[in-house]
Formats: sequence, structure tokens, C-alpha cells
Amino acid sequence: MDAKLSRRDFMKLTTTRMSTWAVSSALPSWMPRMAFAPDGVEPPGDLLVVIFQRGGMDGLNAVIPHGDADYYHLRTSLAIAEPSTANDTTGIDLDGFFGLHPSLKPLKDLWDEKALAIVHAVGSPDPTHSHFDAMDYMERGTPGEKTIETGWIGRHLQSAPWQNTSPFRAIGMGGIMQESLRGPIPVTTLQSIADFHLQGDVSQLAEIRKRLESLYSLGGSLDSIADDTFNAVDLLSKVDISNYIPAGNAQYPQTEYGTALKQVAQIAKADIGLEVACVDIGGWDTHNAEGATDGDMPKLLDELSSGLAALYTDMGDRAKKMTMVTMSEFGRRAQENGSGGTDHGHGNCMFVVGGGVNGGKVYADWPGLAPDKLYGPGDLNVTTDYRDVLAEIVEKRVKNQNITQVFPDYTVAKTLNIVQG
Amino acid sequence: MKVSRRNFIRTSGLFAAFTALAACTPDKPLSFQPFTGHSSGSGSIAVVPTAVAVTPPTMTVADPLTVLTLSRISFGATPEMVARVQQIGLDAFIDEQLNPESINDDATDQLMSNFPTLTMTPAQRYALPQFGQPIQELVAATILRQWHSQRQLKEVMVDFWSNHFNIYIAKSLCRVLKTDDDLDVIRPNAFAKFGDILNASAHSPAMLIFLDNAESQKAAPNENYARELMELQTISVNGGYTQTDITNVARAFTGWTIVGRNNLFKPFGTYQFVERIHDTGQKQVLNLTIPAGGGEDDGTKVLDMLAHHPMAAQFISTKLARRFVSDNPDPALVSALTNIFTQSDGDTPTLLKAIFQSDAFKNSAGQKMKRPLEFLASAMRLTDAVLTGKSQQLVQQVKLLGQIPFDWQFPNGFPDTASFWATTSGLLARWNFGNLLTSNKIHGVQVDVKSLTSDAQSAQDVVDVLSQRFLGTTLPDDARNILLDFASTGDLGNNLASIAGLILGSPHFQVR
Repeated sequence: MDAKLSRRDFMKLTTTRMSTWAVSSALPSWMPRMAFAPDGVEPPGDLLVVIFQRGGMDGLNAVIPHGDADYYHLRTSLAIAEPSTANDTTGIDLDGFFGLHPSLKPLKDLWDEKALAIVHAVGSPDPTHSHFDAMDYMERGTPGEKTIETGWIGRHLQSAPWQNTSPFRAIGMGGIMQESLRGPIPVTTLQSIADFHLQGDVSQLAEIRKRLESLYSLGGSLDSIADDTFNAVDLLSKVDISNYIPAGNAQYPQTEYGTALKQVAQIAKADIGLEVACVDIGGWDTHNAEGATDGDMPKLLDELSSGLAALYTDMGDRAKKMTMVTMSEFGRRAQENGSGGTDHGHGNCMFVVGGGVNGGKVYADWPGLAPDKLYGPGDLNVTTDYRDVLAEIVEKRVKNQNITQVFPDYTVAKTLNIVQG
Repeated sequence: MKVSRRNFIRTSGLFAAFTALAACTPDKPLSFQPFTGHSSGSGSIAVVPTAVAVTPPTMTVADPLTVLTLSRISFGATPEMVARVQQIGLDAFIDEQLNPESINDDATDQLMSNFPTLTMTPAQRYALPQFGQPIQELVAATILRQWHSQRQLKEVMVDFWSNHFNIYIAKSLCRVLKTDDDLDVIRPNAFAKFGDILNASAHSPAMLIFLDNAESQKAAPNENYARELMELQTISVNGGYTQTDITNVARAFTGWTIVGRNNLFKPFGTYQFVERIHDTGQKQVLNLTIPAGGGEDDGTKVLDMLAHHPMAAQFISTKLARRFVSDNPDPALVSALTNIFTQSDGDTPTLLKAIFQSDAFKNSAGQKMKRPLEFLASAMRLTDAVLTGKSQQLVQQVKLLGQIPFDWQFPNGFPDTASFWATTSGLLARWNFGNLLTSNKIHGVQVDVKSLTSDAQSAQDVVDVLSQRFLGTTLPDDARNILLDFASTGDLGNNLASIAGLILGSPHFQVR
């Protein structure tokens, strides 16, 4: 069913249950297709899934530079051994120089399929080692600049040349909206699809709903959020959320992060206009007892990579039009500290996954880990600005050319060709 | 994939937070009761009339400044509180609240006896077969205290300091140590001078674990505590410190640690200084020179310098003004508070009184959006909700509202500005909570809306009595008319719960 429906038509269609059988039997999934934009100005590009690893991931122990001898000098207890096929606690070689942490094994298939690209020694040029400043800068896309209050995704949505009125155009998973989404385009935050409906005395819900709408139309500061909420609830009420079974036997981690990714897949497959989803995974502030192959960090890497692999698998053919990108506020100190952990650092690595990725390659202008090559208090230097990665994804995959509005006052330093298009 | 231990705590452990509590409820119903000294039984205070047949029914009406003040110094201004203000005056009421020991709170203390882990040692908590029990009990105790305590301003300040010195309860040993931080560091210092609570926090075993100072050694100091001590707890990110200062603060605190589990001579989970891992070299921190050869006192000197630093005065003043006045507090107020902070040596009661007396405060009605826990506690308090048994559903609601106490991973504490909380999922959760609570659909929680409306006969009376009770004032005409229209459709008796639910869901109830 390719004919575009206006949102009102769609509601009419579904509420009157007109030709239910005919419609549903012709549809690819459990949702009728709908459109939130007139012909020709609908989103042309990929679904963008942005995963933020809160706390500062230790990129040096995620994608290990096993070809750099200094890595082994600096990481006396935390280093991951050089790749060896005989042992599953060593690094998994990627290109003779870099290797995956063994707990990132779920990413190996994506790498082999060339659906995974890695960027290393990447990050923000701002020297801050504060989680909060670093996250703000990274999510706003404006390192060092505190006066711009919108996020890079918010500005992307605002500047995109297409239209999309869906309340699920951009979603932030979790209770609090990610700062990257902040901007004039409404964002729906979501913890649980199953709970995302109006609840109370069922016989009175319709009336309650009507009065709530009136109460939130009196000119108060919460009116527009309330309006977004009603729109989102209405739209999601048309989606059959029961018994969702991920495709391809995809196994999501049974964590908040895994559940969030699964719900992103559900919403994406519902065809209700999803363009961008933000998902968080916390716990990366590994100052203490980080663990080499067993411990907090390996568990997190397993969770992270299992989730990425599950979403990619679950999306099936749709993964061809999906790009996932991971980021974290900063990397960690090259030399481990005295408590079996690592302190706040600078450069890091990012994972880019999707059908349109020029994968199977680590994109790195490796600065080295020798004392005179380290940054500030002894950190991996940043040789690729994270905005170069994001800008390319936005331009080539998401198809918004207005990069100067997404990243104001920034000129892309280098073209990585990390994605197709 | 297996659920990691950490994630177990994040989900099921906290979900079960109220089960421990429910086990004791038949004998000790956790209802809000008028307590000694504040009850009609004592004969000293007028409470809401219960049997007055007049139209409109008598309501406890307070002046706007009282309504505003009570909404900021409590988790919901009950009629009992309003009556107390009318009896002794607002200033005296604030003084009373600033002297929590003068207020009888035996009934709340009694509730706490439902939580055995509150009086256990860290070793005893560690030995419990049920891994999450200390977390569940502290979370439940915290919510119950906000809901029930007569010492409301103390609870507000406990919440403030708990966030200022935030400890994520599910990080390793914090699970068994945060209880002591709550009882020994935060609560006794709710109204302390800033330097005193800072010093107590620096010695707190839970803080030493949360920010990793317990593991810091002279050979390779751990910077986590040093950085957050300056950035988040004292002089702020604009405090002018460098990486060298951070390193030197970390060196000064080497040796500040906790007693481990295998120590035969000292109790596990208590503070201790270990000389052998302390860096005794000279250290320069900002303008402070710490001579070589020092010991435990090196850290104390850093704390003393930071507590009295002008940037700390400004930072704490800003945070207090943000908490009690506005998301974007008037710079003149912050500046005045900064001076008072310096003159009073960071004396919390002096600062609070200055805030309550300021014009910025008096003109700030409606400027603060309730955070989820404030929304929850105020709904519970003002509906006279009673916990009747096991309430997994209440815990689920707390989670959906988005603020489980101590379940914030970062050392900066839950955000205190509306922009973080005004979200689609957050607003929906509040609407649903109001409707579910008043229609008694949260299993284990009971509300009797009929008794709250006294003997109101008309739709108008019901709407006015309930808004007066929940908001401290009647609704403005536009909102009132919406509710009147609803109330007069169908049978009034059947609509009571939904009217109450709508007021709890209204924009007017989301602010304080």
C-alpha cells in the first residue's frame, strides 16, 4: 500500500476499522504504512540510532592497539593480550594493528560482513576532563561553547529539507531527554512502550483525556509537551505492541539498554515516522577495578556489542537503511592507575554500524602512545574530530546537506568515507 | 545474555523495594496520621473540620506567601501544616522546622523500625542472603520519610545534600555503605555549616568507595574524588583549578580509605587512614601549600581551603537558590547569598532564612517544577494515601515517574531544573499516577477521596475543596471551569476520583 495517507485519514481509517482485513493482509508488518509528509518531501535517508556510553569509555581497552608496544607498557594489569586464535581471552585481530576486546566478539560478524567501521583516536577537541562539560559539548556538537542550547540532532531535524510531523520522528529512550535532541522539533521520550498510554478508571478515560487536553491548553509552559504527549499516545495506540518477537533470533541484552534497543526496533518496524533514536548505556566511569577480561568493563562491552548486533539482526533488510553510531564523552588515561582502573582521558573510539557503512576498516590516524605523543595528563590524542564522523553520516546516510547548521562554526576537517553515499 | 549483578540491582532489586516494607504492614499500617503535638487530639491545633455542615464547606485557606513557602520547604503542604502556621505564624513555623529535634516525629521513627538494615553494621548487611535488601530498604525509607515525616524541611535538605553529595547506591560496596552515609553523614548535617557536611562526606565510607578514593595509593593516585570534590561539591567547574591541582588533591587524600572485609581488628566498612599508602610529598593546591611530611591532615587542609573558597560560597548559594527559588535564580539573590555564606561560615539555616525573606523568593510562585519524587510525595501526602500492603505497583510507578532515590549513576545528583523533567514520558507518568492513585488502582495503596471532600454536595464544592487541599488555593477560573464541566457530567459521586486525579494531573499541581 503505497498511497500516502494524511495523518487524519490514517486515524479515520484505523478508528473505523475500514477494510481491516484487506489492509492488514497487504502489509509487510503489523502496521499499516502511513506518511507524515507530502510526497517528495519525506525522509530520504537512514534511520539514525545514536548510542551514548555515559561515563567515558576506555577506548584503548575496547579496540586495542596491539601493534603499539607502548600499550603494553602503560597497561600493566589491564592490557588485553595480543590476538591468538588458540585463546578466547586475547584480542580479536582486525587489521594486524588493532584488535577487538574479546567481550566485543558479537561485533566480529558485523566486521566480517563489512557492516562495522571503527574510528579510533577520535573525540572532541575541547580539553575538558569533566564528564558534564564533555557530555554537554559532545551532545550539543559545540565543543567549548556553552551558550548554544540546542543539540546537534535537534539542529539536524530543524534544518533537514524534508517534512515529518510524526511525534515519533525523534525519540529519546529513558526518562530524561538526551541533550543532543534538544531543539524546536518535538521529541518523544519513552521508557516503556507497554506503559505509554493513558491509565486510570477505564470507563472515564475518554473524558479524562478530553479535560487534560483542555487543562493543558491554557497557555502554561507545559502545554507543548502535553500536546506532544497526546499525539504520541494516539499514534502508539494504533500499534500492536503485544508479543513482539525480534527477527532473526536476535538476542537483546536483558538490561535497560537492551530493552531500549528492542523498542527502537519495534517503533522502526511500526513505520510511524521514526528518523532518530537516542539510547544510553551507563557505567563506563571505570576508575577502579575496570577488569581486563573479567569485570565491569568486559561486562559492559558484552552488553554494548550484543545490543548493537541484536538490533542489526532484528532489523533485517531494514538495516540497509539504518546507521548506528556510538559515542562517549571522552576516553581514559593511557596509563592505568593504582586501583586497577583508568582516570578521565581524551581520545577514544567510535563504532559505526549499518548497511551503508564502509565497514571492515579501522579509520585512524594513530598518534601513538609514546610519552611525547600523549595529550594533557597522559591521554590518547584526538586526531579525528568526532564531528567529522557525525557530519558524514548526516550528509551521506541521513541525507541532510545542511551541515553548517548541524555543526555551526565548524568546517569538516577531513572526509573519512566511512559511509557510502 | 545473562543479567549482570549490577543490572540486577538496577532493575529487579529496586523494583522489589517495597516488599520488605509490605511484610510488616498488617501490624503497623503505614498511614499518614496526625502526630503528637500536631493532632486535634492534643487540643492545641485546629485541623481540617470534619463534621461541619456548611456550604461551601470550610477549607483551610492560607495566604499566598504561606502556600508558597510551605510548598518549597515540604513535600506537600498538608492541612495540618497550614493549621500549624496559622497557630504560631510563618516565621515561627520556619524556625520550628529549622530545629527538627523540637518536632515530635516518633511515628516516622516507628515506621523506620520496619527496616532492619538501617540499624545493621556494614558487615551484617553484607552477610544478608538477599543481595538487594539494604538498597530496597533505604529507598523505601527515604520515600516514606518524605511522605510522612513531620520534619519536612529537614527532609527537603536531606534530599538536597543527598543529591549534592550524590552516591549511586548500586556501585559495588555502596550497596551496604550508603545507609550509613544517609544516617551518619547527610541526616545529622542537614542544617550544618557547609564545611562540616563536606568534612563528614569526605570521611564517608560510601563516598570513598563511590568516588574510588578508597583505592587511591601514592604510587598511582586515583583522581576521581579529587576532581568531583572540586567540580561538583565545592568550587565548581569554573573554580580555576588545573589538572595539576587535581593530581595534588588526589595525592593529599591518598590513604583515606575504608576498613576491608578481612580486617580482624577493625569493623568492616568504617573509615580509616592508612599512613603507608599516603603520599607525604609537598603539594600545591591552588593557593594552598601543603608541606612535605604531612599525613591525614593533608586532606583536611584541602577540605578546609575548599569549604572557605569564594567560589564554593557562590556555587552552594547558586544551588540553594535554584532549589528553593527558581531554575534561573536572580543574580542579585545569589550574590547576596554568597556574602551571607561567607559571613556565616556557610551556615545552612542562616542561608535558608535569607532565601525565604528575599523578594526573589516571595515573587517566585510557580517557578519550580516538582521533580518526580516531589510530585509523588505531595500526591501521597495531600490525598492522605495509606499503604495497605505489598505494593510492587507503587515501585513501578516510582520508576515510570523517573526518580528512584540514589539511582543516579553520576556524582552530580538528579537534575534540579524543569527542562530535564518536562518530557512526554514524564508528563504521561504523572497523569497516570494521579488517575491510578485516586481511583485506587495502585495495588497496596488506598485513597478515600470522599473523605477528603468532607460533606461537599455540589460539583463546585468538590472541585474547590479538592483544589484548595491539593494546591493550597482554588483553581483559576479557566481551569476551574474545565473541572466543573467534568464534575457536573454524570453522577458526582462516581466522578470524585477522576476529579481528584485530574487536579493531580493538572499543570497547576506540577509546580511548587
